Amino acid sequence: MSQISVSGLKKYYKVHQKEPGLSGSIKSLFNRKYYDVKAVDDVSFEIAEGELVGFIGPNGAGKTTTLKVLSGLLYPTSGLVSVLGYTPWDRKPAFQKQFSLVMGQKNQLWWDLPAIESFILNKEIYEVPDDKYKKTLDELVELLEVGEFLKVQVRKLSLGQRMKMELIAALIHSPKILFLDEPTIGLDVVMQKKMRDFIKQYNRKYQSTIILTSHYMDDVKELCERVVIIDHGKLIFDGKLNDIIKKYADHKLLSVVFSKSVDKSALSKFGTVKEFEFPKAAISVKRNQAPKIAAQILEEFPIEDLNIEEPQIEDIIREVFTGKDVA
Amino acid sequence: MKKYLTVFSLSFQNEFTYRVNFILWRVRNVLRVLMTFFLWHSVFSSNKIAFGYTGQQMFAYVFLVLIITSFVMSAPSNDNIGGEIGGGNLNNFLVKPIGYLKYWLTRDWASKLLNLLFAGVEITLLWFLLRPAIAFTSSIPQLLVGLLLCLMASLIYFVVTKLAISVSFWAPENTWGLMFVILVFMETLAGGIFPLDVLSAPVNNLLLLTPFPYLIYYPIAVLVGKLSLSHSFFIFTLSVLQLIFYSLILKFVWKKGLKNYGAYGG
Repeated sequence: MSQISVSGLKKYYKVHQKEPGLSGSIKSLFNRKYYDVKAVDDVSFEIAEGELVGFIGPNGAGKTTTLKVLSGLLYPTSGLVSVLGYTPWDRKPAFQKQFSLVMGQKNQLWWDLPAIESFILNKEIYEVPDDKYKKTLDELVELLEVGEFLKVQVRKLSLGQRMKMELIAALIHSPKILFLDEPTIGLDVVMQKKMRDFIKQYNRKYQSTIILTSHYMDDVKELCERVVIIDHGKLIFDGKLNDIIKKYADHKLLSVVFSKSVDKSALSKFGTVKEFEFPKAAISVKRNQAPKIAAQILEEFPIEDLNIEEPQIEDIIREVFTGKDVA
Repeated sequence: MKKYLTVFSLSFQNEFTYRVNFILWRVRNVLRVLMTFFLWHSVFSSNKIAFGYTGQQMFAYVFLVLIITSFVMSAPSNDNIGGEIGGGNLNNFLVKPIGYLKYWLTRDWASKLLNLLFAGVEITLLWFLLRPAIAFTSSIPQLLVGLLLCLMASLIYFVVTKLAISVSFWAPENTWGLMFVILVFMETLAGGIFPLDVLSAPVNNLLLLTPFPYLIYYPIAVLVGKLSLSHSFFIFTLSVLQLIFYSLILKFVWKKGLKNYGAYGG
């Protein structure tokens, strides 16, 4: 039984166009040209309880818009959406008490007060009983190691500390579903890792469903078994991360280390030369011919080392987005 | 209910973190009274009576305006809602089981209470300094109606300004200027600059149909016993109708606005 079900979701925006400069501004006062932006264009998917799904796609692909529809912020142009059996944009309190939305670029904490005050407010908003609040808070504070910062004004926290507090505020009512929009944005590598560890742990421990959007492939690689790729509002892939390689990468990468100098042009008959910097070279070859070509290269060139590798997932995705042949 | 009490308490704490800001704001109010005092003082130094008011009466009126406005018109919601809609921070509230307008009404009330506490101090000081000739009505029912009218005034003010600020749903970049114009208009038509009875009777009757005179002029007129008790009741009834009417419109517009809301940012 799926917890989240989306079918044929479309969200179009009307955006007005302004020509550059002051004269453009004046013109747009009287005569505005509008055009439709198809932020989400016919997207369907199902998500089951306890899944941790990553939404990936370039800026403006429609990931965040999808999350906003799922959390009831936006009314879709058309399509059916059901989350926990509710229609999100009805904004029923019974529904709202069961999920949380964290946006890496927005904060919900009261800026001038210590974070603990915002937690207390959320406790009241979500009507969490005292003992449960205390237990949840203690657990989260320990997991995220922020005990000493609870009473510090939010404006004085570092970005990393603040994001942790944002997470606590979002989790104080133990939501069944968690929407995380760019939770690691702007954080340093160490803090990104900590966030990821926490998200993974939280998902395991509480069996909560998590949808995560991110620009960082590391987030997705480490956290999500399943990914949904969205580009230009369309869903272009939904499945296991490893299947992306099978589906899109009909090539393999031969990385070669030569023992004597060779001519670059001599290599191009085997496939696309992706890198060439003596003594190293990387050649992209057809998947099914990889062993044969490898043998040929070994025979024809002075080779110190040769590896047959899967292409990098980042490269595949980048190439999927730019519409290039994955070679 | 408890959630709004917590909002109230946090707002109170929040205001205190801006102590200097708050003190300067109060200083501005004192300066304003002093300026008005000297302005009218010079007007009445050459005339005994202007606009049917003696100097003392006029000054008493302006003095009361200070008290009423610090209660009715102190509303941080006006400075924040437009930005929260335009910048997308409204998102934080829409995903939670809390009413956004109720949230801001609560925050406004926290600010009103704080302002009233401090206005009390200033008013006492100014009272002894300037000795305005103010006599409140001695009729208890009249006084009660007057106080109820103050309550209505603050609610009508909330609803009408929120209605104006709803424009942000459609034109998020234009709210600031529009709000400024509307607030100046409102204050004038509410009787914040001069008492409305200096205007002709037809104009006053016309104004009764708008929400404005209920904000400042009538609460004062009732409190100082300028109107009969039955007239006061009449005004009170009208103010209730105004509140209901604009609340319904606000509800409708807000619902439309939320459909148009782009949840920008992030």
